[in-house]
Amino acid sequence: MTISPGLGTLPEGGRVDFDRLRAERRRRLVDAMRARQVDVLLLGRPANLIYAAGVRQLWTAGARPWGPGCVVVAGTGRVHLMSTWDEGVPAEIPRSDLFGLSWNPAKTTANLKAIPGLSEAHRIGTDGLSVGTRQLVAALAPTAELVDGAPVVGEARSHKTADEVACLVTAAAAAEAALSAMVDVLRPGISERQLLAVAAQRLASLGAPVLPSQAAACALHGRLRRTLTDRAVGPGELVALTPAASFAGYEGSLSRTWLPAGSHPSPDQRDMARRCRGGLDAVVEACRPGTTGADLLQRWEKATGSAASAGLTVHGVGLGVEPPLIGDGVGAGAVLAPDTVVAVQSWVAGARGGGFLQKDLVHVTTEGPRVLTRFSSGPVGGDDA
Amino acid sequence: MIRGAPIPDAPDLARMRAERHAKLQEQMEAHGLDGLLLIGSSNVAYATGAGSPTSDSGRAYLFRPMALLGRGAPSPHLFTPYREGAPPELTDEWVHPALYSELEESAPVIAEAVGRLVGAGARLGVDELTHPLAEALSDWEVVSASAAVGAAKLCKTPDELACIRAAQRINELAMADVQPTLRPGVRQTDLSARFLRRVFELGATGSCIDPIWQVMPATRGEGPWTTHGDVAFPTPTTDRFLRDGDVVWVDTGIDFHGYASDFGRTWIVSETPRPSARQRAQYQRWRTVVDAVLERCKPGVTALELGRAAVDANGGTKPWIEHFYLAHGVGTDSAEMPLIGTDLGEAFDERMVMQPGMVLVLEPVIWDDGAAGYRSEDIVAVTDDGWVALSDYPYDPFEDR
Repeated sequence: MTISPGLGTLPEGGRVDFDRLRAERRRRLVDAMRARQVDVLLLGRPANLIYAAGVRQLWTAGARPWGPGCVVVAGTGRVHLMSTWDEGVPAEIPRSDLFGLSWNPAKTTANLKAIPGLSEAHRIGTDGLSVGTRQLVAALAPTAELVDGAPVVGEARSHKTADEVACLVTAAAAAEAALSAMVDVLRPGISERQLLAVAAQRLASLGAPVLPSQAAACALHGRLRRTLTDRAVGPGELVALTPAASFAGYEGSLSRTWLPAGSHPSPDQRDMARRCRGGLDAVVEACRPGTTGADLLQRWEKATGSAASAGLTVHGVGLGVEPPLIGDGVGAGAVLAPDTVVAVQSWVAGARGGGFLQKDLVHVTTEGPRVLTRFSSGPVGGDDA
Repeated sequence: MIRGAPIPDAPDLARMRAERHAKLQEQMEAHGLDGLLLIGSSNVAYATGAGSPTSDSGRAYLFRPMALLGRGAPSPHLFTPYREGAPPELTDEWVHPALYSELEESAPVIAEAVGRLVGAGARLGVDELTHPLAEALSDWEVVSASAAVGAAKLCKTPDELACIRAAQRINELAMADVQPTLRPGVRQTDLSARFLRRVFELGATGSCIDPIWQVMPATRGEGPWTTHGDVAFPTPTTDRFLRDGDVVWVDTGIDFHGYASDFGRTWIVSETPRPSARQRAQYQRWRTVVDAVLERCKPGVTALELGRAAVDANGGTKPWIEHFYLAHGVGTDSAEMPLIGTDLGEAFDERMVMQPGMVLVLEPVIWDDGAAGYRSEDIVAVTDDGWVALSDYPYDPFEDR
């Protein structure tokens, strides 16, 4: 499939076929349920709701408390959704399979009880838990066993269909636009806050106003920071530019390290950039089915000469960030699967503070790694570095 | 005055964190909890004061900070991938590397940390769990933390109110720059672009909700189908063009040091926005409802009484949408207790008694089938003898000047 990344639709179709995308996702989810003998999934996480129901709902930030927002019944293949209206709900979910938002848990329980196939379920999976979830499941299906539903949805989500990859590339292209907008205004005196403001404006004016990560820029005088500050960029100071964009729920993100206009790279900076990119390239090259987290960490250490625990982060990307997570002391045992997409981030800290950061999205295929993000490595990390 | 203390012009963040910690300790004592383990974004921020980047739920789940409080301990323990977000008083003794509650492999590490810092077999309040976390805590008595945390959060300290007011001020200043751009041919996402640019420039620490600029249908029937037959709101923003005469319900929220704003207004798209007599009457009725509620708003009054005042002022009809409420609180979450007029019912509202420090976002809706409707949101804090406004934005183009 040729991808022509753009946010608008074309009269002839042409771009992402969303009907097909939703049908394939739903088929994969129901297959995963059957393979793991899970009869019913109660889902509460926004990305899982998008995956199962294809619904376009209001985006809110942060980790929200768990509650049942969507019910998938393997036996009937039906997806029941908590939505008070049908706007944003795809046609394959009939109005009769919608139930309204309620503040009153008793009403929600009553709505759930009416769902065909739920009360006779043997195994019910949830993608999160509250203290009351066990009682809720017992009330819905007295003989059912409560199991972890996250691996079921995770298995379905990890494999990316061609349409999903097209969404990821489109989101990546939007993130690249935000990165370009930040590079345009990067000069001494501009603050991290102003850089985020520019990136956010650019993304929203493209038609992609959801900001999956609001850590867009960090002036690298010390350690890599992710929380927003008013700090201004100094002359000659490296800046990590780390935008992320969302298209139909799919996240595109990349990171580059740049110098403000008028600055020239120092030998130290060039050295950090060379090591950072060397580590990134070594890991990207190894992003093939079957590679373990331990392999990736080892390759990065060999290429950079630094300890991987603080420098390499690899995680899944699809409808936002998803497992596996490799780095920060976890994920050595994770195994890369075919047709998944991972973000690979390499960070090399300088001996006197600061450092160099680069991140790309990589499609893991049986034919080898395919880098989905595209952007110059900048004035320090360029190919002539 | 809030329990005798004024709301400061600028919040003292260190004092605010200390007071919140004391409140959580008090509630742990009251609810017989030996420890609190919190993983919800807003709860961790409340308990520790730690900043973390505002992000999509997927990122927030995988990279989430965790707070662990022991009863009687002087500070909370913070486990975070964002060390830089920890407040200065949390020294290395209290700040630890992230624990990944999403990952099976982290379960034994979490169990070890809880055992070491709170003690084996303790009674632990949790705000929520993941399956790996539940497995990690199988040797503890795990109970819901919501009563304890909810009680701590319900009444804001003067510093918390200053944060909410500051968040709201940023939101309103941004809107003062957005509203003049509301002309035919502008898209909803163009408004978001201007808004996001300005809120970050003005000092927001995050945008917590996709900004809403919903075009309201003239009648319920022309809008989306709903389960209850009432109006659908809020629906997400798209690249929809705004056209002359569109009635737009605006709703946005930003974050300032962990506290949310909530901005709601009704606007009309036009080169020369002039509401009709019918539209002016909708606004007047909204004003009447809000004034009637505020007239009665003071400590000791129940949510039920405030709800009834609103219904009476609206001629006996409930002036809010079926799935909503007359008012909600705002704090570390954009909609939190106290709620007034939800489907939790009258008994719930009767038990909810106004106290100093509670925050009410009043958002009655005057629906006028055939001519859409009017909805705005005004924020007040309950004071020792009444209320004080935390929001301050004009009602253009409805206000007579």
